Amino acid sequence: MQAEIIKNVKFGIISPEKAKRLSVVKLSIPDTYNEDGYPIDGGLLDQRLGVIDPGLVCKTCGARAKSCPGHFGHIELVRPVIHSEFSKILYMLLQSTCGECHRVLLTDDEIHGLQDKSKKIIALEVEDLTDAEIADNAAEVDEKKGGKSVLKKIRSAKKCPHCGAPQTKIKFSSPTYFYMGDKKLKPDEIRDMLTGINNEDLRILGIDPDSSRPEWLILTYLLVPPVNVRPSITLESGERSEDDLTHKLVDIMRINQRLAQNINAGAPQIIIDDLWELLQYHVTAYFNNETSGIPPARHRSGRALKTLAQRLKGKEGRFRYNLSGKRVNYSARTVISVDPYINLDEVGVPYDIASRLTVPFYVTAWNLDKAKELLARTEYPMILNLISGDGKRKRVIDINHDELLAAVKPGDILERQLVDGDIVLFNRQPSLHRMSIMAHRVRVLPGKTFRINFCVTSPYNADFDGDEMNLHVPQTLEAQVEAKYLLAVQHQVFSPRDGEAVITNNEDGITGMYFLTKDETRLNKDEASYILGIGGIYELPEPDKDGMYRGKDIFSLLLPPKLNFETKTAGGMVRIVNGKLVEGVITKETYGKGNNKLLIKIGMEYGDEVLKQFLFLSSKLADAYVTFAGVTVGVKEYTTNNEIEKAREELLQNTFRLIDEKISQYKNGKLEPLIGYTRRESLERRIIVDLNLAREKAGDVLIRHIDPQNSAMQMARAGSRGSIFQYEQMSMFLGQQATLSGGRIKRGYYTRRVLPHIYEGDVRPSARGFVQTNYESGLSPIDLFMHAVGSRGSEVYKALLTARSGYLYRRLSNALQDLYIEKDFSVRDTANNVVQTSYGGDGMEPVATQFAKMAEKDKK
Amino acid sequence: MAYRSDHEIVPDHEILKLKEVNTLLDGSHITIDNLPKILESDPQCKKLGAKPGHVIKIHRSDNGHSYTYYRVVIEG
Repeated sequence: MQAEIIKNVKFGIISPEKAKRLSVVKLSIPDTYNEDGYPIDGGLLDQRLGVIDPGLVCKTCGARAKSCPGHFGHIELVRPVIHSEFSKILYMLLQSTCGECHRVLLTDDEIHGLQDKSKKIIALEVEDLTDAEIADNAAEVDEKKGGKSVLKKIRSAKKCPHCGAPQTKIKFSSPTYFYMGDKKLKPDEIRDMLTGINNEDLRILGIDPDSSRPEWLILTYLLVPPVNVRPSITLESGERSEDDLTHKLVDIMRINQRLAQNINAGAPQIIIDDLWELLQYHVTAYFNNETSGIPPARHRSGRALKTLAQRLKGKEGRFRYNLSGKRVNYSARTVISVDPYINLDEVGVPYDIASRLTVPFYVTAWNLDKAKELLARTEYPMILNLISGDGKRKRVIDINHDELLAAVKPGDILERQLVDGDIVLFNRQPSLHRMSIMAHRVRVLPGKTFRINFCVTSPYNADFDGDEMNLHVPQTLEAQVEAKYLLAVQHQVFSPRDGEAVITNNEDGITGMYFLTKDETRLNKDEASYILGIGGIYELPEPDKDGMYRGKDIFSLLLPPKLNFETKTAGGMVRIVNGKLVEGVITKETYGKGNNKLLIKIGMEYGDEVLKQFLFLSSKLADAYVTFAGVTVGVKEYTTNNEIEKAREELLQNTFRLIDEKISQYKNGKLEPLIGYTRRESLERRIIVDLNLAREKAGDVLIRHIDPQNSAMQMARAGSRGSIFQYEQMSMFLGQQATLSGGRIKRGYYTRRVLPHIYEGDVRPSARGFVQTNYESGLSPIDLFMHAVGSRGSEVYKALLTARSGYLYRRLSNALQDLYIEKDFSVRDTANNVVQTSYGGDGMEPVATQFAKMAEKDKK
Repeated sequence: MAYRSDHEIVPDHEILKLKEVNTLLDGSHITIDNLPKILESDPQCKKLGAKPGHVIKIHRSDNGHSYTYYRVVIEG
């Protein structure tokens, strides 16, 4: 069949005539079933509205439940009501037209001038804006045209330019009340007014009269959706429970009936009006139970009813829950945990999951024997289902096993349990970049969690504090191949953002490498064999003369044999000649995140597979060595000796003296102001500069005085965890606590000071949030307060920032997600429009760019 | 605000000749409507006197890399 192309979609309002054509039955009895449990004719579950029981035949179309689309019925309201969802538009229409002749309140000339520009103004009007905003916006639109606001003009019209009748101001109060002056307008009066507006005037006001006459918004003929829109549920107890919509419709019909009786009995007008208003309320709630200005209709239990608008709206509405997001088969989800002994591109799958997920096995004439062999199995890797050529799915069970075994033929599909080596997709939400979904090879393992290598946590942004991840089994050969060759972990090592590696060794993996490759690391034969054995390497490097093995030589065994590499790091040069690390120590700067020249080099020269293996082996070796060497951090690491204590005291005193001098200079008017700043600002800036300087010096003091063997210091140097700055906070002083705006803390108590313990106008460091104590020795009460101010500030800021940037990123990635790069390197959208004539302006792929930079460096 | 079309950060614009437009579109299966747009009221269009349907070639440069960008003039 030729696919039809949708040219356009048009939304409009259903006219009473159209509604009459749609309706198959007039409903008049506000009830569902009679005593026998049989649907009442003319009741809300009238059988002409369609069938939902599989056995029955529809009384309208004669089809069975599967093919009967359901049929609309209707309720005839004895008094009209307003469609509350459109009351804002009705208000606009009533305001813009004459109360007498119903023409739009503009002169013929103005109408003429506006005819093509009317749409813009209506667009503004319909938005949720206050009157002031509408006026502002309208003025803005108008300013461009150089005239007075049309809307303002319409509203301020005292007399109709057509019939000359004086205009009474229309008032509107949410959701359905309209007043003309002091007189309340009833829906039938409003309908008369709307009917009087001619088609041309409606077009001026931005309404297409062919598809949406405004009087159609006043309802007497209320369509009732078919039963399959609001199915009733039979509970186990045999009790029937009706859909929320049915409940609301019952309410509407009850009031409608009471209203009819009262009118017939000639009840006083007040009673009729009350009932009429009640009818209006029920219809309003039926459309949208969260309409502002009405109390939501509730269930007996107190739960608010889910009516029409609630079915569609929001995260759990039809659009976002059922259309944009659907549940998928062949997938699994569980908690993740680490396993350093499985490869980067593997995923440990618990047996319980592997035995339930399936992979299709396509039976052909050439693999029929293999298929029979598989189908014959009665334990673990066995066939769960057989899908015969005609698409019928049969579960393989003991009873039909032999029968199916005899019947299996080419064209059938066998669903086999997941086994080691199958390709699966692994994903962690939020899927922010393409590395959030990668292809892994299955490793069936005991236990209940998915297992991944520690190196692949960073692209998923996963940790093991209870994170769960999803696994999907590609079901066609094409999908499997695509996953294997495009999405596999080893193909995702380098980020398409900047070409840097996102899959690297982290934490222990770096600490271990650092300790292993230090100059003084030498191992005896037993130790070296043990470490290498864990990495799966069963050869030893050349020993030194005394029979000891150098750590650098052990590391070199992981490198490709002919590798030549050189880079400068903070710890000195790192040089690899002919696959041997001859100089330097491996730190984060060489192969960690963000700075991974070694990985780029290996990836470029030896490819993904070798790089993956290098990462895997080096992480195993590093883990083994770090376990073997033992790296410990405790309070001891941060306890300072007298020497450091003295240096710290001196540093602080010097800084404070310097600042005090500046303060007194300022007070004497001798402080030279900085260009572009007031005298006070200049002082503040100078103080901040001095304090920052003190912090830097504190780092130097630590580096100078702390034992280089201190493990916290070593980790900071390796780049695996912690920094000098954090060391300072624990052993020296916390430093300046900042506010959200980046300045020093200066207010909090009544007058211009942070606490009552501080003199007003004191600008010395201690009065403005400079904490001179540290975590190790403990914080003084004032320091603790200042620290809390700073911590709270940064906590609030963090929460705000993540929420904001997360949403910003979501909007950006949604806007760009369908763009692709054409063969000519231009970036296109799905309509084939050119977004960039050359990707990124230069047509460069970031990963290739990194490789090119490396190649260039090699040439020199 | 004054707009200085000769400011150093404003890239060079030029109107593409019809022949050049054809060679541009020839190799790639796009129509002129698929190109990025530029308004007729854009200061550069006014300066060049470009009318809807013209293709503007923009010589951009960024960090020493120079590259060209094309936009089709539209009404507005």
